[in-house]
Amino acid sequence: MARHLTLPSWQQTEVLLQHRRTRWALLLPFFGAGYILTVIFHVLTWQSGKPASPWVQVLYYDGLVLLTYSALWLLLWGETRQRGTTPVRTFWNLSIAALLAQGAGLLLLQIGSPPEGTTTSGFAYETGVPLTLVTVVQMNALALLGALLAFWVLLQLRGLVLFKRTRQSERYWRLMLGSMALSALLVDWLDPSEPVLVLLLVVPVGLMLRNAFRVSWILYLTFRQKLLNLGLSILAAGALSATLAFVSDQAHAYLWHYSAALSTFISLALAFGILYQATTFLSLLFHLPTTGDFQRKVDELAALHALMQLVRQVFDAERLAETIVRLPVEAGVAQSAWLALPDLQRGSLRPQVVAQWGLIDTPVDTLLDLEALYQETVTRRQPLLLEQALADHRVRARPDHSLGTLLAVPLLARNEVLGVLFVAREVAYGFEQDDVEAITVFAAQAALALDNAQLLAERLEKERLARELAIAREVQRRLLPQQIPRLPNLNVVATSIPAQEVGGDYYDLLPLDDNYLAFIVADVAGKGTSAAFYMAELQGIFRSLSRLTPEPTQFLTHANHALADTLERTAFISAVYGVFDFKAATLTLARAGHTPPVLLRPDQPPRLLRLQGLGLGLDRSGLFLQTLEPCTLTLMPGDRLILYTDGLIESRNSYGEPYGYERLLQLLTVHADQNAEALHTLILEALQQFTGRPVYDDDLTLVIFQWQPIPALPTETNRQLADKPLLSVEPSTLQPSRPSSDT
Amino acid sequence: MSNFSVAFRRNDNIQILDLYGELDAHTAPELEAALQQCLREGRYQILVNGRNLDYISSAGLGVFMAYIEEIREKGGDLKIAELKPNVYNVFDLLGFPLLFDIVNTEAEALERFARQERPVPPTSPNP
Repeated sequence: MARHLTLPSWQQTEVLLQHRRTRWALLLPFFGAGYILTVIFHVLTWQSGKPASPWVQVLYYDGLVLLTYSALWLLLWGETRQRGTTPVRTFWNLSIAALLAQGAGLLLLQIGSPPEGTTTSGFAYETGVPLTLVTVVQMNALALLGALLAFWVLLQLRGLVLFKRTRQSERYWRLMLGSMALSALLVDWLDPSEPVLVLLLVVPVGLMLRNAFRVSWILYLTFRQKLLNLGLSILAAGALSATLAFVSDQAHAYLWHYSAALSTFISLALAFGILYQATTFLSLLFHLPTTGDFQRKVDELAALHALMQLVRQVFDAERLAETIVRLPVEAGVAQSAWLALPDLQRGSLRPQVVAQWGLIDTPVDTLLDLEALYQETVTRRQPLLLEQALADHRVRARPDHSLGTLLAVPLLARNEVLGVLFVAREVAYGFEQDDVEAITVFAAQAALALDNAQLLAERLEKERLARELAIAREVQRRLLPQQIPRLPNLNVVATSIPAQEVGGDYYDLLPLDDNYLAFIVADVAGKGTSAAFYMAELQGIFRSLSRLTPEPTQFLTHANHALADTLERTAFISAVYGVFDFKAATLTLARAGHTPPVLLRPDQPPRLLRLQGLGLGLDRSGLFLQTLEPCTLTLMPGDRLILYTDGLIESRNSYGEPYGYERLLQLLTVHADQNAEALHTLILEALQQFTGRPVYDDDLTLVIFQWQPIPALPTETNRQLADKPLLSVEPSTLQPSRPSSDT
Repeated sequence: MSNFSVAFRRNDNIQILDLYGELDAHTAPELEAALQQCLREGRYQILVNGRNLDYISSAGLGVFMAYIEEIREKGGDLKIAELKPNVYNVFDLLGFPLLFDIVNTEAEALERFARQERPVPPTSPNP
């Protein structure tokens, strides 16, 4: 009755009425006044003995009843909880309320009941005017009682009907209430004949049926709860039926004369209550046998879910793999499970079973063509289900191997297939669709965990490598000369800048006696720590061997022999080795695969000394000695020898271009008159300017020797030199093994 | 991340490896894996085409050194063809042309395979 009246500002009203105090303050006086007015109306009618005129009846009385009971509905609506209590509580409350209301109703009818024998109700037959004051009291009290019960029933059932509510279910619920109220009003006003009455009730009854079938909460009950509810629904249905019988029989006249609309609404509400109990009863009955299955399913899912938490915590790759295969078996979804991952450590993509669990104890590789099944699953990126595994050509298992159904699920993480989880059941057709889905969801979680574990392992490996590299760098730093010897006539400037990773640059200087200085600039090709150790080896060789056989050919040949035996096959060392003879003012040097030194003479363009020679450790036959090409230079005042490692030539700018020989030679041409220190600074500055950043990609070593001060040159020669186009830079007088394309 | 790759091709009984990108310490394992695969499958006539190889570091060169002995022991050879000038220069600096058959074109390399030619070391260096 209240519903369609409050429709216009329902949201606002709802918010307003949420506050208990507002609600009571607003509605209680309203309801109280309305109720008293109706009582007064009936008393007046009784005293006058005549019914009120139809206009007064409709406009005043019906309107009053409508407003009064709307207020009552809203009061009760506010007092009941939206979510409702448990079904057991609801049904229990309903039964008790129905029985109490009926008991109270019966008691009411007992007071001042007409003397025995008279069958008249307390109303005038023609007009329906109450005949006694007792009747007036009874009709008012019964109407209030009936309305309270009807509203209570509806509000109690609301929690169940709107279980897992949607916008639609809410709409149907409100529509039902509205149509019930509307039909009740129409029945009152039209006083229809039976066929019209049926028509009027079609809509609300239809909607009542619709709402009565909303019993999905049943699914979530345990077997015991279902049994209990079954009993309670019978009790509630019985109690409500009895009450309905009471209001439509003994109490009918009182209610009808009070308000036909209210009477109809009460009957409809009670009918809905009975209907709901009936559908509940039947649904419970039908669901009882499947409770076990449903519960098992729920348990399985709960088990998988609970164990997923575990999957996330395991960060040990091996234990994780074991957990992944154990869980589906422990959850009871599968009877056997195994996990196949590509064997990345051995650099192959062939799948390998890393963990196996459950019924099958034979190694699965012997039971089926793992690779074929793995590849198909990886290609499909979807679960692969073999309902009759034994019939598949890729399965070689016998019937006694417990491999009836096989399900292969790809482990997808970050859009990549990490591996495949195989699960099996003993019998054919062992997996239902929901099992497949459960395993798929589980596989997704497992993939995530696996991915995490792999990332973590990579990270740990990286940290380990970083530590190793830090040690290697320290070794490298200590192997480099800590002090540059001060020598007459020969000025030496040297730097070695290690990059982020160890590349293995090495240089060293060793005065052999007052007349000789041996030097070496080398680059160990190899990775990480090993480079540092090879460097240490080379230092040992240089420091001992250069004293014994200082001559470059001999020194390098011996060094090659020594190193060829100890270096890994992928490692080798490039070096330039030479000896200054101070007395004779000569320099003898040889190149073993190293970047060619540059000779810069005061009056000549720079020359790349591209002497032939294999890298150390590359050749174990006589080829090294055969191809080595030493050279001896007579030193002139101002001669500068620039030695460097490939870090200088290969440093790149932001476009990816390497610095290259050409830029180096150009720089040396332009600054040909600078001494060793200045050149050293200029080259490093130029390189930094070129790369545009202060860090180097590779180790960078730069050693510059200068023999005596540069004699002053006529400025014209200087200018001519600087103006010379680069291409005219003459190649070394010493024949290169093949012209370099970079120069 | 990795800007290096190896593609496999066959020409009769010669396994051709096309290298793409930059071969350095980080990408060397990929070439290593490719060569290992060739050896596992018993293919010892290997031609490496460097047409699309943009860069090589010394660690990259090391990979070639690692397998040449085994390949030659088994009667095969590893030839290198069509290197870009800057890449060839790195090979050249270390004296690789003395150890490996490095030729200008793939056709030339195939021909040399057919004639079973090997690089001839120079008898004596220039003075």
